[in-house]
Amino acid sequence: MSRLKYHIKQTWRNLGQSWGTQIMTLFTVSLSVLIFSFFLLIYVNILAAGDRFSDELRLVVYLDHEVVPEMQPQIRKKIMDFSEVENIVFVSRKEAFERFRKQLGKNSDVLDDLGPEIMPPSIEVSPLRDLEHLSQLKEFSDYLATLPGALKVQYGQNWVERFGHFTELVRMTVIMSGVLLVMATGFMVSYTIRLTVVAKDAELEILRLLGASSSYVQTPLLIEGLMQGIIGSTLGMALLYALYTWAAGRLSGPGFLRLFDLTFFSPLTACAIILVSIAMCTGGSLIAIRKYMRI
Amino acid sequence: MPAVHGGRPFRPAADVRPGAPDTDFDNKVRLHFMSEQNRENRPFVDVVKVTKVYSPDIVALQDVSLSVDRGEMIFLTGMSGAGKSTLLKLISCMERPNKGLIEVAGRDTAKLKKGEIQELRQQIGMAYQDFKILPRHTVFQNVAMPMEVLYRPGREIKERVNEVLEALRMDHKKNLPAGKLSRGEQQRVAIARAAVNRPALILADEPTGNLDSEISTLVMKLFTELNEGGSTIIIATHDSSIYEGTSHRVVRLEHGMFTA
Repeated sequence: MSRLKYHIKQTWRNLGQSWGTQIMTLFTVSLSVLIFSFFLLIYVNILAAGDRFSDELRLVVYLDHEVVPEMQPQIRKKIMDFSEVENIVFVSRKEAFERFRKQLGKNSDVLDDLGPEIMPPSIEVSPLRDLEHLSQLKEFSDYLATLPGALKVQYGQNWVERFGHFTELVRMTVIMSGVLLVMATGFMVSYTIRLTVVAKDAELEILRLLGASSSYVQTPLLIEGLMQGIIGSTLGMALLYALYTWAAGRLSGPGFLRLFDLTFFSPLTACAIILVSIAMCTGGSLIAIRKYMRI
Repeated sequence: MPAVHGGRPFRPAADVRPGAPDTDFDNKVRLHFMSEQNRENRPFVDVVKVTKVYSPDIVALQDVSLSVDRGEMIFLTGMSGAGKSTLLKLISCMERPNKGLIEVAGRDTAKLKKGEIQELRQQIGMAYQDFKILPRHTVFQNVAMPMEVLYRPGREIKERVNEVLEALRMDHKKNLPAGKLSRGEQQRVAIARAAVNRPALILADEPTGNLDSEISTLVMKLFTELNEGGSTIIIATHDSSIYEGTSHRVVRLEHGMFTA
């Protein structure tokens, strides 16, 4: 009998002998993967939403006087010294006045008696579109307020801060559910293997007396942990995909809801989650084998 | 003059007289440096001045010495509690002696590492007095275990298990759970498991204790065939019917010591 064939046969026997416990373990592994992946998916989607939001995010620094072209490189360098940005645009009074006129459209005639001097010159700064830079907007804004001639810095401050707090909360939830995943899968698989070892105590004793090698006895139990990992995590991921498909059809849409246009994990990320879960299940069974087996 | 049992001389492996010089240990040191080829010529089982004491102070064996040649079959007799089972357990590395030396296949069992003990046990087929069979496994599964441990091909396992079960008239019960069998049948399963692999050494502890004379004859026939095939066999028994008139060596244990 080839070794692999034997080990698979023996694993099958083990599964048959304790199928109730095996199902409970599978359920726990699936649920843990589902919970963790669920929060991770929310986090990933929030980041994506943040990206979309930051496309239109700009910090506008209103100035009391226009920046002459010779000064612009110095101002630009000063801004870049604090943080890398995507774009810096210097807006003169005249340009601001023209924009305002366009925005008014048909009612632009109200500006006929007025001149560009009513509009303050400004600098429009587009920050980089990642969460790290978004979360530092407050500090960045405070810094921009110290630029020479700066009167006021404007951006969607409250909204961005709330968004930042919410993202942080989800990030903490992802970390906690990750810890839950590690603990639950590791513990459950380890516990199941322990039960198997206890249930097979007499058999293991006889195998020991027959001169069974350590790999002969341990490999089926390792395969058992491996299988729990493969089936449990794949099932958890499949459940999440079903949940995603269901939710995506209802939450995605035009307008404001477009901000929450849901996306699923990339195949690489999904595979990584499954592989990590498999590794943890196999690790859990290895720890149990080392701890409880005498062979 | 060595004692004679069953027509063959009892050869103690060492001079066990009180005060005799302990030359055996020197010999053992020398033998350890012998080549593998020379090992083949040495006793397959060599028990030298072995003492085994169970807690608190129950002396199971005291300064026991015994040599069994490769391919020899011997009967170890004596009353219950004489130390027969203990000696078999020591030879199979189930237990360790408090004193003395045990060599199996030319190797000091006290110095064997975990992997080496596993290898040694793969060469030993032991039929336990308490059977040590798995009641929920079928007869076939129980008997197949020693061959599975060696990853033998499935077809070979099937053929050999059927052959041994047939020899012991147990083939018709091979698919039954072993726990459903009578004690005599369970004993035959234990014997079949010990014999299935044609091991180099068979240790049988009271193999006919629960068997009638007809089945006992079958068991002895199986052992004889294995012995003729090269297996070394040690049978611990107090059933005189299986060794009376035998041409094999018979040694007697009493209160943990060999007697003349």
